[in-house]
Amino acid sequence: MNDLERLRQILLDGDRRALDEARRRIEAAEQRQLTLAERLPQALEEVQHGPHGERFARVMAAPVAGALGTAVRSSRHLIIDALFPIIGPTIRKAVGEAMRSLVTDINRALESSFTLRGLAWRVEAWRSGVPYAEVVLKHTLAWQVDHLFLIERESGLVLDRASAPALPALDADAIAGMLTAIGDFVSDSVGREGGDTLESARVGEHLLWLIQGPRANLACFIRGVPGTGLHARLQERLERIHAALGAGDADPALVASVSAENLDLKALTADAASEEPRRPTAWWPLLLIVLALVGVLAWFMLRDRGWETRVEALRGRLADHPGFVLTGIDAGDRPRLVVRGLLDPDADPLQPLLQPAIAAGAQPQLLVQGYLSTADAIVQRRAQRLLQPPPSVRIAVTDGVLALDGVAPEAWVEQARLRAPLVAGVRDLRLTVEASQRPEAIARAELEALVRELPELRGRFERGEAAAPESAAFVDALAERLRGIGQKAATAGVGIDLVAVGCNDATGADSTNAGLRGRRGEWLRDALIERGVPAALIRVADDADPQFRDRPLERSVFLHLDITSHP
Amino acid sequence: MIRSSARKICMLGDFGVGKTSLVARFVHNTFSEKYLTTVGVKVDTCEVARTDGEPRKLVVWDMAGRNGIDTLGASYLRGASGLLLVVDGTRAATLRTALNLLMQARTVVPAAAAVLMVNKLDLIEHWEVEPLTVAELRNSLPVFETSALTGDGVVQAFATLAREIPE
Repeated sequence: MNDLERLRQILLDGDRRALDEARRRIEAAEQRQLTLAERLPQALEEVQHGPHGERFARVMAAPVAGALGTAVRSSRHLIIDALFPIIGPTIRKAVGEAMRSLVTDINRALESSFTLRGLAWRVEAWRSGVPYAEVVLKHTLAWQVDHLFLIERESGLVLDRASAPALPALDADAIAGMLTAIGDFVSDSVGREGGDTLESARVGEHLLWLIQGPRANLACFIRGVPGTGLHARLQERLERIHAALGAGDADPALVASVSAENLDLKALTADAASEEPRRPTAWWPLLLIVLALVGVLAWFMLRDRGWETRVEALRGRLADHPGFVLTGIDAGDRPRLVVRGLLDPDADPLQPLLQPAIAAGAQPQLLVQGYLSTADAIVQRRAQRLLQPPPSVRIAVTDGVLALDGVAPEAWVEQARLRAPLVAGVRDLRLTVEASQRPEAIARAELEALVRELPELRGRFERGEAAAPESAAFVDALAERLRGIGQKAATAGVGIDLVAVGCNDATGADSTNAGLRGRRGEWLRDALIERGVPAALIRVADDADPQFRDRPLERSVFLHLDITSHP
Repeated sequence: MIRSSARKICMLGDFGVGKTSLVARFVHNTFSEKYLTTVGVKVDTCEVARTDGEPRKLVVWDMAGRNGIDTLGASYLRGASGLLLVVDGTRAATLRTALNLLMQARTVVPAAAAVLMVNKLDLIEHWEVEPLTVAELRNSLPVFETSALTGDGVVQAFATLAREIPE
């Protein structure tokens, strides 16, 4: 060692040792770095199970979550494929548990529904020994899986298939290929980035479900409307297929075995049906039908009752009709109504009695024969018609006894004495007519008859009305009776006073009723004057007149005749 | 890889080279040709006898005429075991398109076997594709002169492709 080297050693020895130490540390660090991959799993395991495991989990949470988020964004397919076998069962389990109790409650309620169909199914279940739920299922299952294809996702080739019996043959490979192509086309056209796929299609009653898996898809051709259980069962089978086949190359024998087990249509249908929510034995259609039947029955009964009521009412009216003997009503051929009976020529016509039945839709037909009634009213009319008594003679029939009273010319009295006993129905005659040749006596008797008759004729009004145009017949009848009354009064040598008396019913204010009474009387007076009754002979009743203070409580008007001694 | 016994092959070629007509008499036509203009592909099947005498089912994806492979075309190519490239012998440009399509398809299905069909043999007097070119192509892949009109060469091309397809 020369001087220079010795000097260098003296000056730099410390630095060299420090440099060597640093080099050794760097080499050791590099060595640790190189073996980090080997030591990391063991180190992670140790720290996880060691006293700092919880802290380690907290520290790692953020970077792991960040890494997972990045992976989801950049390699969504990888994440989906990795989670596929577990995510479906997990979701189904959570949803299934929540739904199970609800479905159980609903099923219990529905199964106990008391309907005819439910009872029939219960009888069938009891008879066959099959649980009631299965019987319900058998009757409510309204779908069928026609074809089920297991299709390799990448190539669209059919790995295996199952078809329902008795269906026409089809080229499954071509169909699977086109399905895959159309699925790719739809996904490429409208699917968002990330793999939205064609999942279902419907044509008429046929439904196609495409259930996607990472390596293979299931294409299910269904006829009808499947229940909710079928899709879940298909998904479950596809997951089972993936789990059995694993991630690597699959042995064809294994593929055949796995697919044969999972594509068994009979087992699939039974599985899906067992989870089918049982359809409620709907009671409302039956209730509606029963209600409709009850309604129709009630309508018929009411119609029959209404018809019978109308027939009975008609029967009563006809039975009470003087001069008519009802022999029968034939009401069987509704709405035709045949009325049979005997009718006296002097009786009132029957048509007005039939009007209510005609208004109710009946078509009455009268089959009547003539006869002579002995009813007092009809005998009186007959006597009136045959004897033609003058107005001064009063005529009445009671129990077949014809009473003639008043004043009449002697010739008429003689004739009546001879003819009256011959009138049909007259059992006896009481003739008290004064035979007189004096015109004044006859005139006076006629006036007295009018005094009795006029108040019997009443004109009727509607509530609050003081005019009755429909009462023209009443006014005409009054005018007819009053014809020549002035001459009669003159002949009799007496004065006459005609008073139109208006009346009102019990309702309304006094002032209103007083006005109504006056106007009704005025209406009658004016109507009679219009028909030729001298205005000087007629006046309207005054409320102050004690004679008319207690008038009938009805909406009417009548005529009162007073005979005074002095003309 | 899960494998079916059938194999998927795709027909590629320029517009109007006669792909559909070439196989029309050879495949079971299940679907209408309208899918070519709508979905861009029509899938048919056929069976080809192998050397061992056993028939091999081929699922033929007849892809609409194109001069490049887009995303949808790539999805149609996925899983194909064989490629049938069709050229119109009377149009030399269709050969360049076919070779270009072959190169693009290789990026999607690198292991797929390929066969080239130079079509319209019945119009050979009007061919623009030189015989020398065809001879050179035979050094790279099987080449068949075919006629959709007479059916010449079609069966041989399919049989060769079926043989070339890896098991």
